Amino acid sequence: MDKVIKVQGVTKTYNPDTIPVHALRGVNLEIEPGEFTALVGPSGSGKTTLLNAIGGLDTPTGGSITIRGQDIAKLSDSAMIEFRKQYIGFVFQAYNLIPVLTAKENVEFVMLLQGKSQEERATRVKELLKAVGLEDQIDRRPAQLSGGQQQRVAVARALASKPMFILADEPTANLDSKSTANLLDIMAKLNKEENITFLFSTHDQRVIDRARRIVTLEDGQIISDETIAS
Amino acid sequence: MIFKIAWRNIWRSKIRSFTVMASVLVGVWALIFVLSFTAGFINSYISSAIENEISHIQVHHPKFMDEKEVQYTLKNTTSIVDNISKNAMVKAFSTRIINSGMLATARGSRGIQIRGINPQEEANLTRLNEKLTEGVYLDATKSRNALLVSRRLADKMKLKLKSKPVLSLQKEDGTSISAAFKVVGIYELGNALFEETNVFVRQSDLSRLMEGEHNTHEVALLLNNMEDLDTVKNGLAATFPETLVQNYKEISPNVNLYESQMGGSTYVIIFIVMLALIFGIINTMLMAVLERTKELGMLMAIGMKRGQVFSMIVVETVFLAMISAPIGLLLGFLTVSYYSSNGFDLSAYGKGMEKFGFSDQVYLSLDVSSFITVTVAVAITAVLASLYPAFKATRLKPVDAMSTV
Repeated sequence: MDKVIKVQGVTKTYNPDTIPVHALRGVNLEIEPGEFTALVGPSGSGKTTLLNAIGGLDTPTGGSITIRGQDIAKLSDSAMIEFRKQYIGFVFQAYNLIPVLTAKENVEFVMLLQGKSQEERATRVKELLKAVGLEDQIDRRPAQLSGGQQQRVAVARALASKPMFILADEPTANLDSKSTANLLDIMAKLNKEENITFLFSTHDQRVIDRARRIVTLEDGQIISDETIAS
Repeated sequence: MIFKIAWRNIWRSKIRSFTVMASVLVGVWALIFVLSFTAGFINSYISSAIENEISHIQVHHPKFMDEKEVQYTLKNTTSIVDNISKNAMVKAFSTRIINSGMLATARGSRGIQIRGINPQEEANLTRLNEKLTEGVYLDATKSRNALLVSRRLADKMKLKLKSKPVLSLQKEDGTSISAAFKVVGIYELGNALFEETNVFVRQSDLSRLMEGEHNTHEVALLLNNMEDLDTVKNGLAATFPETLVQNYKEISPNVNLYESQMGGSTYVIIFIVMLALIFGIINTMLMAVLERTKELGMLMAIGMKRGQVFSMIVVETVFLAMISAPIGLLLGFLTVSYYSSNGFDLSAYGKGMEKFGFSDQVYLSLDVSSFITVTVAVAITAVLASLYPAFKATRLKPVDAMSTV
């Protein structure tokens, strides 16, 4: 099966000229379509750095990252933004919704950037907010939603552009148990029913317990890669 | 959606936005006030100079304006007056004899310009008869050698009604003559320089003393419409080539200077006010960008292009100006409307200003084009002020921006 993400010998060194910090030391990782993979490891192990590099938000010092056959290091800044918009969905730890837009508008935003028609946007927004259980909260702004609800909106937004995969950085870090369970149910359902690929970093054992593949990082290196039998 | 986000962003920090809007509003209002005040101030000087002193056009012997010698009279006054009388573009005119002489009283003497006028013509031209504060006009007395002096001159020379100062003047043949004149009226024009150096007598009295045949030195004209200035001037110059025909700008360099500087100073004032506004707006918008660093990083992470981020900040700034500028324009318009009919009282400074021919009541005036200029200037200012913060926003790296607290 074609790989969605192919990470080969990726290194990332901060402050190379002063006090070098090696955040990633030759990481190799391949993700296939439909995976539900957790990147785990202690703080500073390189999880977020790896996710940022895969998402094209940060540039690796060495190695290559290929997404859908495209070496993303070869993309210009604006081409990378365009690439992200088309193929990658993001879910951030702090939700990072646009505070002045409603739940509906937040989900619609990426589709607007993609130039989707009004009709298509309306249908998809409705569908996605229903999928995350927020169809009755569409006109609320982030400040009027709970943390769990905001993160569900963030998941809906990440899915709006119909990306190839979703990168989620500590998506449950700010959520209580109930919201975490709820969010995980939604993500797992989307993964199972719509075959959406999820790659998330986490410390959260509840998330790890639901992952079907667990990649453990330590000091910028993968020390274990375990597939959980379903 | 960019417009929607930009619009809503304005209201996220109401105090900050209201501060920017207030500064734009006050800036626009102040600009309109200063521009209209300057225009009113200069217009009042120009109209006062035209109405009381120089009129729109003057006709002289070609050498008279430079040398002011009595022998440089107009040789064909009758033809000139006949021509002017038939010209429908001319509202009023006055012929004058001008003689530089001395006024002597028991208190002392001082150099003055004696203006021999036809009372009726002068009343039509400068409404001198309406500017008497004491006594009577020259056509209301049968006294021989009647004299009108200004209040200032009267105070300085201790003159009052019925005083009989002696005027020494030059006859047309170059010799001098002195005669006693009787003060019959005291006038006030609001121009100290003119008042202290000019007295009015009847043309017939002065002509008799000067013993000349063609002793008119000046014909002054007031037009119905300022737009006819060049037509009338050129017509007269062509008909009477032996004379010097000048418009008010040529006669009074001050008037010309003020008039020409008005345009230039308008742009200088606009530039200064807008420069101050630019820095205020830049400061506020930079704060807005810094506060939203994380959010801007996220927008770029999920696919918003740098150009769109740039536009969003520019639009946001322009919105702030668009809300406040019309209010400032309206307030400015109301202020100008009020003071254009009621006058802005500067009587506290009136004494000093009158000395230079300025009125102590300034009637604000501003034309539509100046309102348009201010509007365009505000729009340009808003866009310029937004460029740097917008540029800063586009320089953010999503990964760094999102890691800010």
